Amino acid sequence: MISKNIKTASMRIAFGETLFNLALKNPNLYVVDIDLYPSLYLQKFKERFNSRFIQAGIAESNAAAVAAGLAASGKTVFLTSFSCFSPALNWGVIRQSICYNQHKVKIIGSHSGLMSSDLGATHQMLEDIALMRVLPNMQVFSPLDAYEVQKMLPVIANSPGPSYLRLVRPETPLISSPRQPFSIGRSHHLKSGNQVSILGHGPILTQLFLKDFDKYSLDIINCSSLKPLDEKTIVASLQKTGRCLVIEDHQKIGALGEAVAGLIARNNLKVRFIQLGVNDSFGQSAHNYFDLYHAYALSPLSIIEALKILLKKYAQSKRNP
Amino acid sequence: MALFTAPKRHPLYPVSRQMRLDILEVVNEVGFGHIGGALSSVDIILSIYNSDNFNLKKDHFILSAGHLCLALYVVLAQQNYFSKDNLFTYAKFGSLLQGHLNLDTPGVEYASGSLGQGLSFAAGLALGDPKHHTICLTTDGEHNEGQIWEAITFANKYHQGNLINIVDYNGVQLGGKTEDIMPLEELAGKYVRFGWTVRTINGHNFYELDNALKLAKESTIYPSCIIAKTVSGKGISAMENNFEYHDIKKIPHDLYLSAKHDLQKY
Repeated sequence: MISKNIKTASMRIAFGETLFNLALKNPNLYVVDIDLYPSLYLQKFKERFNSRFIQAGIAESNAAAVAAGLAASGKTVFLTSFSCFSPALNWGVIRQSICYNQHKVKIIGSHSGLMSSDLGATHQMLEDIALMRVLPNMQVFSPLDAYEVQKMLPVIANSPGPSYLRLVRPETPLISSPRQPFSIGRSHHLKSGNQVSILGHGPILTQLFLKDFDKYSLDIINCSSLKPLDEKTIVASLQKTGRCLVIEDHQKIGALGEAVAGLIARNNLKVRFIQLGVNDSFGQSAHNYFDLYHAYALSPLSIIEALKILLKKYAQSKRNP
Repeated sequence: MALFTAPKRHPLYPVSRQMRLDILEVVNEVGFGHIGGALSSVDIILSIYNSDNFNLKKDHFILSAGHLCLALYVVLAQQNYFSKDNLFTYAKFGSLLQGHLNLDTPGVEYASGSLGQGLSFAAGLALGDPKHHTICLTTDGEHNEGQIWEAITFANKYHQGNLINIVDYNGVQLGGKTEDIMPLEELAGKYVRFGWTVRTINGHNFYELDNALKLAKESTIYPSCIIAKTVSGKGISAMENNFEYHDIKKIPHDLYLSAKHDLQKY
């Protein structure tokens, strides 16, 4: 789909390697795993830092509170699993033991979104961001690609409170600039333009680098820091273009789309708004996630449809009478 | 209830009578409180805070059953973590003493309220601080929660000799007797099978509490469970073993008077 000369890489491998390197420097860095460490490429971590690798077994609730207890003793704890298990199964424990008690636990939820393709609906976690965004003290991040995972992890490991980091299963295109630093609460432009603002998070944004989009002047913002959200950058872009398209591999309810809609309402912005996301339904199996993006109206075709609607003339004349 | 009589010659006995009176006065004053469990667990908490075997400036106490907070608050006041006047602001707007635990309260290490999480937290803390002991207080009803059993399994795996779980086994929970709501059957045997050392004691007898805590401290590779058999509402005859006093709003005046009378004779 994406042009053949764009390289791809696995966020999960980037996670495993970056965490290993952080652990070399930081003797207080612990992992509490829920028997998914091979999937998160933590074999090397487990071998090298065995005493800092806590295997809690397939018991998400206990693991989350154990992580909080470890953090209470001064450790930086990464709680690693798939998002359909953690934070899905242990949300109440995250709420009380991690967020209310304000502990430095970094929740890693892999296999998020429709991108978990052939695993089917149970493993296609489409609600994780909604679950995590709503919790006080929790910060929420959804990296664009493997480069951004590398840049995010040291920053997240140093931030004081709880965080949630969303990862996906397949290898995805490398789009972000390795030189662009990541900071919490900052969003960066992937492209600058003046016709339509496109806001999103995660690898779904990489679809916008197809040739088909070259004829549009797009202001593409990578909202990888979902909470705190870079409201200033988003509002400035919306004021410039007057047209907003939010796209995310998540339920429409409770994630970036609603956050941006709230932002538009609170700031009295005159903006045409279209939200692309999963519309209050579960996913299903497919061998290729592109088929699912097509079926759930998240594919480049759907994005172009949305752009055409946003760019219809009358919208322009209504905005500037 | 001869089994659960408390020997009066122990120096903590008169203190425990005062703690009970404090609990009654606070609940009567503010018109709210989980009085049944507070009266069953207060001797356990008092015993931990006055134990020669533990130093709670370094060792940890995790109250997993957050609704027992009133028992913890009266003991923390007795231990001068905050002034006793604060007790009468319990659960009021702006109070240092929240309706369930909060970290802003001096002496509180873990904010609980949702049952079943504290033992896991204590296991994590015991793992991260192996040089000190972590004592957790759970209840029998709390063992309905599956997470408790995850934590029991976990502590066995990591040979957490520095972890102690005391179960305030008062036999009742919010809606009835524990054996009717969800039978625990032979709890001690279950703990043994899960690889813990277990001791069943009278949770109102300070000699037995002292001894059990001392023996639990001596266990180096096995996590220790102390099943403290207690009486919910202990000391107030109308409330004893009566699940309807799990929590109470305004205490009727005649009940307050008879309760005070009971406790003055305690």
